[in-house]
Amino acid sequence: MEDLLNFAKGPLFRFSFAVMLLGLLRLFVLSLINGFEAKKKAPDKSIPKGYVRKLTWGYLFPIRAFRTKPIYSLVSIIFHIGFILTPLLLYSHALLFSESIGFSWMGISLSKPVADNLALITIFAGIILLLLRLTSKITRSISRKQDYLWLLLLVVPFITGYVCSAVVTEPATYKTFLTIHVLSGDFIFIFMPFTKIAHCILLPLSQWVTARSWKFVPEAGENIEKILGKEGQKL
Amino acid sequence: MFSDKSIAVTDEKLVIPEMKYNIEKVPETDRVTQFLKIFAALLKETNYGSALELYTKVSAKCAKCTTSCHVFQATKDVKDIPCYRSELLLSVYRRYFSLEGSIYARIFGGFELTEEHITQMQHSFWNCTACRKCVLECPSGIDHGMLTHIARYILAEMGLTPRALVISTREQLQGETGNTSAIPLIALKDSLEFLEEELKEATGEDIKFPLDVEGADYIFFAPVSDYLMEAETLMGIAAVLHAAGVSWTIGTKYFDAINYGLFYSDLVLGRVLRKMQEETQRLKAKKVLIGECGHATRSATFLKTYWQGEGCPEIVNILQLTHQLLREGRIKLDPTKITERVTYHDPCNLARQNWIVEQPREIIRAFCKDFVEMTPNKTENYCCGGGGGTVSIDEIRKYRTTISGRKKAEQIRKTEAHYVIAPCANCKKQIRETMEDNNVDGELVGLHDLILKAIVINK
Repeated sequence: MEDLLNFAKGPLFRFSFAVMLLGLLRLFVLSLINGFEAKKKAPDKSIPKGYVRKLTWGYLFPIRAFRTKPIYSLVSIIFHIGFILTPLLLYSHALLFSESIGFSWMGISLSKPVADNLALITIFAGIILLLLRLTSKITRSISRKQDYLWLLLLVVPFITGYVCSAVVTEPATYKTFLTIHVLSGDFIFIFMPFTKIAHCILLPLSQWVTARSWKFVPEAGENIEKILGKEGQKL
Repeated sequence: MFSDKSIAVTDEKLVIPEMKYNIEKVPETDRVTQFLKIFAALLKETNYGSALELYTKVSAKCAKCTTSCHVFQATKDVKDIPCYRSELLLSVYRRYFSLEGSIYARIFGGFELTEEHITQMQHSFWNCTACRKCVLECPSGIDHGMLTHIARYILAEMGLTPRALVISTREQLQGETGNTSAIPLIALKDSLEFLEEELKEATGEDIKFPLDVEGADYIFFAPVSDYLMEAETLMGIAAVLHAAGVSWTIGTKYFDAINYGLFYSDLVLGRVLRKMQEETQRLKAKKVLIGECGHATRSATFLKTYWQGEGCPEIVNILQLTHQLLREGRIKLDPTKITERVTYHDPCNLARQNWIVEQPREIIRAFCKDFVEMTPNKTENYCCGGGGGTVSIDEIRKYRTTISGRKKAEQIRKTEAHYVIAPCANCKKQIRETMEDNNVDGELVGLHDLILKAIVINK
């Protein structure tokens, strides 16, 4: 167990963190490039800036979200806040960072009771989201495997983290939970760039890329006819 | 006229009429290869790849889009969830054209494009009216309207487009009359003369529809069906332009603003716009003026894309111009003429991105005493139910009026308005039929129909 924990904390953590960082960076840069390529190919460079800005900010800071499905939206927002803040501002995480990388943000970290409660809230929010997804025929019909699996995977480090922090004291059990905690965290990092969690980096670009894609390439239609061997054909 | 009015909006039991449109010619063999080949060509030449690449990665399947889709709210069929529909196309892109998806498929297998999948797309993407209301709700920023647009374009290249649209477009691009309603020039001239006589009778003024005037400030393109069905809208427009002394003209070589390309093919969109460019240049007009029509106005803005050479003129919608003339005091409207309750329907293509929203309202408030809004309205307004070209498909009228139009019928009924203003040729036909089939009281008009009743022309 000790070896596994050290592996998960050490090499695996560094690997998964790098996969996440580089993977998300790659997606962001590729989307930026795609957007600018689209701009280059289209003669009409204008986009409805006000509309794009309104929708982008509206979902980065979801003030618009409550207009529809308010319960789902509220739980989802709580889950997002908990999911981002708890691990990021946890004192022990900051400490780990300062030990391994040399810089940290211990000064702004959360106090233990706040972090514990936030973790509990996040766990409950995650479970409610899963139940909402399971109990509605509408969401069930459009859900893929990853939509369920992600919710399950995302709450694992929170449950184990909470157990380590506030429940167990016995060293062997503590180690077991800590190992699961670190491993699940590693897996989350690894899968992030390849699944829907990529929205964490792509969301600020989606409205802009959409607006750019609505600007057409004038010769595209005729060129497609050429590729398909239908050049000069009448309708 | 439809005699069967059994399905009223208020009925609890809803029978969903068949949504099946006619196509000209079924593609013969291997539609799967055809589909993928066309998709690949599209991705190579167009800008859609950027959006598809992003959408396949961020789609979170939250179903918030269901709250805004008028079709889903009527049918409650999971196949009508915007996100479900979009996934039909995204799954093909993910499997065959995205790096991660194709690697994953090679290792683990999974989705493969099949004939049945294509059949499902063929119908599903025409159930959508491309109103883009769901775009406002999608937290992932997916434009389901764009996915409908792309899918229809691929299907169109395979010949899977409703026959009604293909025939109209063929006449517009290759036919003798050169317009979607196949109106011969001589008939157009006759009807304009008739409208001039009517205007003389109504206002006592010699109001003209100036044909082929070179160097006019505005060249006017109406959705050509207006010449057959919306005479009063055209008379209202002519009266406004006459009263304000605007220099304008209608070209006799090309006078149709309708562009079904916006609904199913960028190739058609471009070809139709080039005809518009030729006529504008032939008459050396300074600006392009589009009549009361949402899709025609939005598609005309693509002139900036398809204009060959320099000097693309400004594109103006008649609502913008009338609003400007009213503000400048160049037209006067008598506020005592329209006393009945009035409501306003926002055409999706004008209002969804908050483009032409306040101008018509300012005009209405200037002369209508009792103006009530529908709920929701402006950018959030519901589609008339005939958007995305579906209004032209007569064989699905029942589906359009009882399913897609159901929400609009409810909205209108709640306002208890006498006049329902819809400044769009598509919306006008659809709402008129919807009100008829759902027994909603009231009269559907264009904004300029009412302006005609109230305009004061100084002699």
